[in-house]
Amino acid sequence: MKLNLFSKISIKTLLFFCFFGISLSANENIEEKVKKLTLELRCMTCQNQSVYDSDADFSNDIKNLVKNKFEEGESEYEIKKFLAERYGEYILFRPFFNYNNLFLWGFPFILLTISLFFLIFKTRKK
Amino acid sequence: MSSLIGFLSLIAATGINFVLLSSKIFINFNINKYNTLVRFSSILTFISFFSLMYAYITSDFSNFNVFQNSHTDKPLIYKISGTWGNHEGSMLLWISILSIYGFFFSFTKKIDIELKKLTLLIQSFLHLLFSFFIIFTSNPFLINSVVVTEGLGLNPILQDPGLAIHPPLLYAGYVGYSIIFSLAIASLLNKNNNEEWLYIAKKWSLVSWTCLTGGIALGSYWAYYELGWGGWWFWDPVENISLMPWIAGLALVHSLLMIRGEQVLKRWIIFLSILCFSLSIFGTFLVRSGILTSVHSFAADASRGLFILLIFFIITGFGFLVFLLKKPETSKPITLLFINKFSALIFNNILMIIATLTVLLGTIYPIIVEVLTNKRISVGAPYFNSTVIPIMIPGFLLMSIAPILSWQTNKIRSARNYVIFFILISLIIVIQSYFSKFNTWGIVGLILGSWIIFASLFAVLTSYKLNFNFRFFQKVNPHIAHIGVGIAIVGITFSSVFKNEFTYNIVEGENFKINNTDIVFDKIETTNEKNFQSLRANFLISKNKKVIGNVKAGKNYYPVSKMITTEAGIFHEWFRDVYFILGEQKDNEWLVKVHVNPFVSFIWLGVIIMVYSGLIGVSRR
Repeated sequence: MKLNLFSKISIKTLLFFCFFGISLSANENIEEKVKKLTLELRCMTCQNQSVYDSDADFSNDIKNLVKNKFEEGESEYEIKKFLAERYGEYILFRPFFNYNNLFLWGFPFILLTISLFFLIFKTRKK
Repeated sequence: MSSLIGFLSLIAATGINFVLLSSKIFINFNINKYNTLVRFSSILTFISFFSLMYAYITSDFSNFNVFQNSHTDKPLIYKISGTWGNHEGSMLLWISILSIYGFFFSFTKKIDIELKKLTLLIQSFLHLLFSFFIIFTSNPFLINSVVVTEGLGLNPILQDPGLAIHPPLLYAGYVGYSIIFSLAIASLLNKNNNEEWLYIAKKWSLVSWTCLTGGIALGSYWAYYELGWGGWWFWDPVENISLMPWIAGLALVHSLLMIRGEQVLKRWIIFLSILCFSLSIFGTFLVRSGILTSVHSFAADASRGLFILLIFFIITGFGFLVFLLKKPETSKPITLLFINKFSALIFNNILMIIATLTVLLGTIYPIIVEVLTNKRISVGAPYFNSTVIPIMIPGFLLMSIAPILSWQTNKIRSARNYVIFFILISLIIVIQSYFSKFNTWGIVGLILGSWIIFASLFAVLTSYKLNFNFRFFQKVNPHIAHIGVGIAIVGITFSSVFKNEFTYNIVEGENFKINNTDIVFDKIETTNEKNFQSLRANFLISKNKKVIGNVKAGKNYYPVSKMITTEAGIFHEWFRDVYFILGEQKDNEWLVKVHVNPFVSFIWLGVIIMVYSGLIGVSRR
């Protein structure tokens, strides 16, 4: 019983603050949106550096472009799509969550499920 | 001359290993002969390595490798580290470390003789493979065809004390797994088997894991102050490659701990042993073949890349083949109780392997996609942050309650105290964060980190008699290690979630204010050093109108290689780093970037504690 109390409380506190956090992060201003997106873009003229962290001309152009697009009311997905069409998907540090990349994104969760089933199966047998 | 000695002793060492391997078929040497031959070949390999180092120290440009990577202007330390600052030399370092491990392993006493023989045989097989690789594709002893008096110089970015010792430590980690690999395979092949080898494997796995931890941390610290990007981990492919054997090795160290719990997962341990070394070689292959920058640069280095790929397939294939064919007799049946130390360890092991495989997939996914579809894509930090970190979180949660779990039963010791303290800590953190910037990840990381620190500290204080002798430190060592992890988690969370950046365009003499700190952009200085010119901006830092220190940030220009490096200036305080980067100059104005990174020192402190407890762990049976 003691454990149940402990785990219940810890899970509840965690969940509560997750939701709290999500609701807070819902309305960011444009500056923050630009920062969040440019952190996930590759500076094509640097070595493995994000657009946000770099001061190269390329990065400054992209920063302005992203800012303008946000001000015009475009969504993050639309801007990412535009950039991917122009520069190739290589620019995105976070690959699209689509059919092609299903394996990439699903892999950890497939592994987790398999190993959980495996554990349950193993212990049941004994 | 030194090149000749080096080359000949490498050949001789290879010859000895060849004799040792073929002796298995023709005549059966006794164990003393094995020991002597292994030690002899190790010493020859050292001689080979040191003669290359000698050529570097004396700037012997008749050696082609020295000519390409050294320069008389370099300070002595970088002449020495230049030995492994290039492909050929680093491979020679690789087998020298392999030899060191073999050399020390040959002194192991409490071990079945047949098992020891087999292990040494596999070690010399590995030595042979890598010596062939060096002799045929990456010979560091080639003679320069023209007579020259000056070399081409070492890449300036490598001219750094941190990076001078980073490769040997990292390799000591990678190559250390070879002993565990050989032991595991030998234990499968050996007929009469006991569990003695697990204790030996535990020691060696701790040695290599500790070296790897130190090596990765040094590399990361180097990236922090040398790259001038303000961060210390970028999920760069080369970093990921070192992370994989690190996590797998952590899983291995933990499953070897289960020997104490009397339930041994032999098969799992052997699997991990093979996996760790395979990942190490795979990492070497990816880095050394040049496949990482682009799939196409593979062509330039085809023979080397293919050769290492071949070695990788031979070793991994051999390892897993033996693993599948020779099943270890199933040890005692596993009983997983609802929650105890044993099942927590198994669960954490699974999480660590999932994390390792996820990092592996993320690292090679772009390569696979490019080969299959000819399209270039990136898998970067956002992917790893949103997959690997959530996978690890349940593990950290288990870590925080680890001290109150017992090995055999379902009982939980003094749970009430823990629950009360956990809630108290969480409340404090939540209230504190309410008054500062709120961030979900920040809260989760802080709570987990402080739970781990608290629970381990509590366990040390309540479960053991406090007397400060060596045995006490051995006993509480696991808790100390976990405190280190907790501190590192707090540091990582703070420095990545609550960092701040400021950009200024200012002229000399101007000042600016960050929080409660006044900073004056004092002046620009240029000086001529031995092998570079330096440009430094001096910043004076003061709090409450009292100067508390100064920091120099700037750039170095290396005329030999015509390269400019960024030299970040860092003002270290216990609870934050103020990190200065000097940018471009426009008219009189300089671009100055300042990062305020809170709690970075906690990361290094945590790592130091982990390394310390790794070392203590080696001494414990």
